[in-house]
Amino acid sequence: MSRFFTTGSDSESESSASGDETAPKAAGGPYSKPLLLSEDEEDTKRVVRSARDKRYEELTNLIRSIRNAMKIRDVSRCLEEFELLGRAWAKAKGVVDREGVPRFYLRILADLEDYLNELWEDKEGKKKMNKNNAKALSSLRQKLRKYNRDYEGQIAAYRQNPEQSDEDEEKSRRDSEGSGSSSGAEDDAGNFLKRRERDEPRSRYKESESEPESESDEDWGDSASESDSESDEDDGKFTSLASKFLKKDEERRGAERRREEKAKKKLERKSRREEEEEEEEGGEWEKVKGGVPLIKEKPKMFAKGTEITVGLVMKKLNEILQARGKKGTDRAAQIELLQHLVAVAHEHQLGVPLELKIKFNIVASLYDYNPNLAAYMKAELWQRCLGCIEELLELLFAHPEIFVGENVLEESENLSNPEQPFRVRGCVLTLVERMDEEFTKIMQNTDPHSQEYVEHLKDEARVCGIIGRLQRYLQAKGSPEELCRVYLLRVLHTYYKFDYAAARRRQVRPRPQVSPGPQVSPGPQVSPGPQVSPDPQEKEKEDEEKEKQEEEEEEEDSEALMERLCRFVYAKDRTDRIRTCAILCHIYHHALHSRWYRARDLMLMSHLQDNIQHADPPVQILYNRTMVQLGICAFRQGLIKDAHNALLDIQSSGRAKELLGQGLLLRSLQERNAEQEKVEKRRQVPFHMHVNLELLECVYLVAAMLLEIPYMAAHEFDARRRMISKQFHHQLRVGERQPLLGPPESMREHVVAASKAMKTGDWRRCHRFVVNEKMNGKVWDLFPEADQVRAMLVRKIQEESLRTYLFTYSSVYDSISMETLAAMFELDLPTVHGIISKMIINEELMASLDQPTATVMMHRTEPTATQNLALQLAEKLGNLVENNERVLDQRQGAYGGYFRDQKDGGYRKGDGYLRRGGFRQERGNY
Amino acid sequence: MASRKEGSGAAGGGFGSAKGKGKAAAAGDSAVKQVQIDGLVVLKIIKHYQEEGQGNEVVQGVLLGLVVDDRLEITNCFPFPQHTEDDADFDEVQYQMEMMRSLRHVNIDHLHVGWYQSTYYGSFVTRALLDSQFSYQHAIEESVVLIYDPIKTAQGSLSLKAYRLTPKLMEVCKEKDFSPEALKKANIAYENMFEEVPIVIKNSYLINVMLWELEKKSAVADRHELLSLASSNHLGKSLQLLMDRVDEMSQDIVKYNTYLRNVSKQQQQKHQYQQRRQQENIQRQSRGEPPLPEEDINKLFKPPQPPPRMESLLIAGQINTYCQNIKEFNAQNLGKLFMAQALQDYNN
Repeated sequence: MSRFFTTGSDSESESSASGDETAPKAAGGPYSKPLLLSEDEEDTKRVVRSARDKRYEELTNLIRSIRNAMKIRDVSRCLEEFELLGRAWAKAKGVVDREGVPRFYLRILADLEDYLNELWEDKEGKKKMNKNNAKALSSLRQKLRKYNRDYEGQIAAYRQNPEQSDEDEEKSRRDSEGSGSSSGAEDDAGNFLKRRERDEPRSRYKESESEPESESDEDWGDSASESDSESDEDDGKFTSLASKFLKKDEERRGAERRREEKAKKKLERKSRREEEEEEEEGGEWEKVKGGVPLIKEKPKMFAKGTEITVGLVMKKLNEILQARGKKGTDRAAQIELLQHLVAVAHEHQLGVPLELKIKFNIVASLYDYNPNLAAYMKAELWQRCLGCIEELLELLFAHPEIFVGENVLEESENLSNPEQPFRVRGCVLTLVERMDEEFTKIMQNTDPHSQEYVEHLKDEARVCGIIGRLQRYLQAKGSPEELCRVYLLRVLHTYYKFDYAAARRRQVRPRPQVSPGPQVSPGPQVSPGPQVSPDPQEKEKEDEEKEKQEEEEEEEDSEALMERLCRFVYAKDRTDRIRTCAILCHIYHHALHSRWYRARDLMLMSHLQDNIQHADPPVQILYNRTMVQLGICAFRQGLIKDAHNALLDIQSSGRAKELLGQGLLLRSLQERNAEQEKVEKRRQVPFHMHVNLELLECVYLVAAMLLEIPYMAAHEFDARRRMISKQFHHQLRVGERQPLLGPPESMREHVVAASKAMKTGDWRRCHRFVVNEKMNGKVWDLFPEADQVRAMLVRKIQEESLRTYLFTYSSVYDSISMETLAAMFELDLPTVHGIISKMIINEELMASLDQPTATVMMHRTEPTATQNLALQLAEKLGNLVENNERVLDQRQGAYGGYFRDQKDGGYRKGDGYLRRGGFRQERGNY
Repeated sequence: MASRKEGSGAAGGGFGSAKGKGKAAAAGDSAVKQVQIDGLVVLKIIKHYQEEGQGNEVVQGVLLGLVVDDRLEITNCFPFPQHTEDDADFDEVQYQMEMMRSLRHVNIDHLHVGWYQSTYYGSFVTRALLDSQFSYQHAIEESVVLIYDPIKTAQGSLSLKAYRLTPKLMEVCKEKDFSPEALKKANIAYENMFEEVPIVIKNSYLINVMLWELEKKSAVADRHELLSLASSNHLGKSLQLLMDRVDEMSQDIVKYNTYLRNVSKQQQQKHQYQQRRQQENIQRQSRGEPPLPEEDINKLFKPPQPPPRMESLLIAGQINTYCQNIKEFNAQNLGKLFMAQALQDYNN
């Protein structure tokens, strides 16, 4: 005995205890909790303990971790633990007051002091220490010195005679407690920690029954080791496997050896444990033989022969769930366990409700599998998750009588009683929503140009299927709120897909040989690309009714579907967010299918433009997507100005990529930290939903060209001319800066080249630049109705070129025949007539139409270039003089007011004079 | 040297008349009263621009010659290579020395007497010109800058002018103080920043003879550019440039205005502060306490930085030049227009 207790100096404890560090450390670490599996183990655990025991256990645990930290010379860790210890000690004050300061506490204080002093002396070691440790060392040393002052006397006493006092205390305690109560002993163990630690391995490795200790000691040591090491070893395994405690190889080897042994004895032990349960109070001898009862065989959840009841399974389930969310829990194992549990439940026919319940939990654990939000599910887990949810839904459909809801309380759940309606706690909707999120995450984290992405995208059909089924389920049972949520999910999976089938129908319908009506649906929708995969209909195990319903839904094109879903949401939703999202999706869908006026009206009526800046970023991204789609839609319809306005906000910032959630900008890297970047990454829209940025930019630039070029021509000499589109001008400037102009390559170069052609009124060249093979491939073919768009473009180009031509060259004509113009621009006469009339009315063109000869007579009212310049110069000089007068005013001080009044009057008159020539500015509001 | 000795005396020649009008009086107190340029120099300058200058790029070069009494004779010149971003390490001084040494070897005047520069629509009154002319005049007192206007020359009349900084401006530049006060004290205005030195172009007798001969042979029709009526382009450009300068001027004035306002505001604050202090001191005196010490008021109120006025002077000078140019141009044009009208009337 003395052998073990002459450990006053830490140098010895360091060397002696390192071998069996694993177990105490793991148990002592406040982070890990064992997976509690067997009932019998639970029995030993669930003993009510006294406050004293509890406190002491806490202290001993902390002390153990301090010792560990000391051993690995991790002073900062020591410091942390020491602070915790101080707190725990304060908590245990009451107990201590009653019982006096326990030995183990004094010992740790003394040891720690010695240890620190030694470290402090060791100059070289200190130098080698890293900064943190060195800092911690000095602060810990100070703290400890302060702290120990309170216990000076006791520590001194302890130092004088460590073992003596130990023994005394031990004896006295033994007397007071009696040797039988194993539970008390366990917690007292801190006192005998060292001894026991040394006992354990020996008893295990050597299998030696004959301990050097006395009988009574044995009793202590091993009742404690029994209960403690159960958890210890379980833990040791978990920590060494799952969590990443740094351990010496040695320790790990030791643990492995132990485990091997355990494996050998597994069966034996199992039976023995059962015995032990009964004979717990009996011979201690036997227990020692058995070593440590171990629960290794997890899949075997119930003892053989146990009658498995609902209650039992529930208990098990709760047990498993308790470990959920805690560190050190093996999540994969948990899922396995739950699945096993389902199998058991199914096997014993414990009823559907129970299965439901467990399944809910399986899905939840699947979601829990990833510890942080950013990580995404592995493919295998994802498939399992999908399968699980599908099974869940099937069960729900098969048993419509079971009531499922999240508002069902744990207590009021009814899983087994067939007389009353079954009630199960859980929410399918939440699970499905979560599933949808996971799907998005998977898509976000897959390289969009890989085959993998396509593979993942194929799951979209399944996701949609699940949502569809859930929708049907909730339509039967759910509340309006839930319906809104599931409708939104459905809408979110529908809005960005172009309904090719409906479009084809629309094309087909006018033909006489096909009978109109929804009956002519082209069968199962064929999706040209993965992003338009329609709702799947190949669902087996659906009864006919449902199939019919589904078919009906298939039948109705996505427009009607969106309409129906969104209307419901508009009417029933009470949270603003869902409605906003629904409206935006609805608009997007309209815009995608070129229903411009409906989309625009909806946008205007919703007043979203006014208050979207208050929405959360994902909704804003959706809004941006919608605006962009709206702009592109307007462009397709030939509403160039609307298109330009809709796209202006997104394009002018130059951050379209970011605003649409389609990628992060590199340049703002320094502005955001890693955390923000993660958040932003999570907001990204999956690739298959992207709006093509090049298409977007091209549409914007072409729209800007069609607006800007005539405007520039009209206001060539206007000093106050404003740019309509800065970005377009930027592109023009970039084009001008090129020292050598080759044939255009990129989309932008094409547009710039086209703009230059248009400036001279050369519409043919302009057309060639805008619509050609390269541009078709890059941009125009991306539209569903590409030919219509191209036709519209040609027409617009002709018109705007005509206007530009008139603006630019009207000064060199006295008159020009409209026929010539019509021939030049290949427009029909009425159109030319219309355009010119409009220009005359808007006072853009100083001319009149001569009806009989169909000619445009130019009026020479325009000031010439020089005149214009002179006017501008006069204006500037006016400014200059005015400014100069102000300088004079300063000099003159108080008199200035008088002068200025007079002067101002004079200028105003002058201004009026200037204005006469300046009518261009007033009507420059194209 | 030889060429100069030969051709003293006869001034002028086939190459238009000298532009010695106007500022002769202003040059009275200057070291140089007349600039005599060799025909060779004129041709070299023109050639230099023709070959290297384009658009609004400017070509520059060094003038070589001698001073005789109060007359500066320029007998030769050589160009500076065009500056590009690429050869930043190009050593200009080294190049000049090399050039001059080489020219000396072939018995050409190698005394540095100034520099020349082409101009774009007369926009040469800039800070850069001022600075380099200052350094020239500082080092070589007699040096001049020759301004060659290729556009006007293309219109039919050679435009070559010699300028020097007035002694007043030299003083100011030496001080490097361009604050409003200093300029006011120096009594500098845009009119008396530069002085124009009359120019005489001189050729050898033989050349003169040949020119006479050539003139006889050439038809009048060859010089029709003088009669060109297309004026709007030139005028437009000039106006545009003028406008830009006027804008700059406006901005400058606004800046100056703000400065004045700040000064007066601060003056007021200072005044208030002094008054307050005075009152306080009176109160303290009545209470028998010692008065507060007078603090340095300029430390409390840092006077605002006065804007340098040189820029605006230069701009004013530039505007003046533009105006002169436009005036001249328009006067000529009007004459041509009247002539054309008369011709038309006559023809009809």
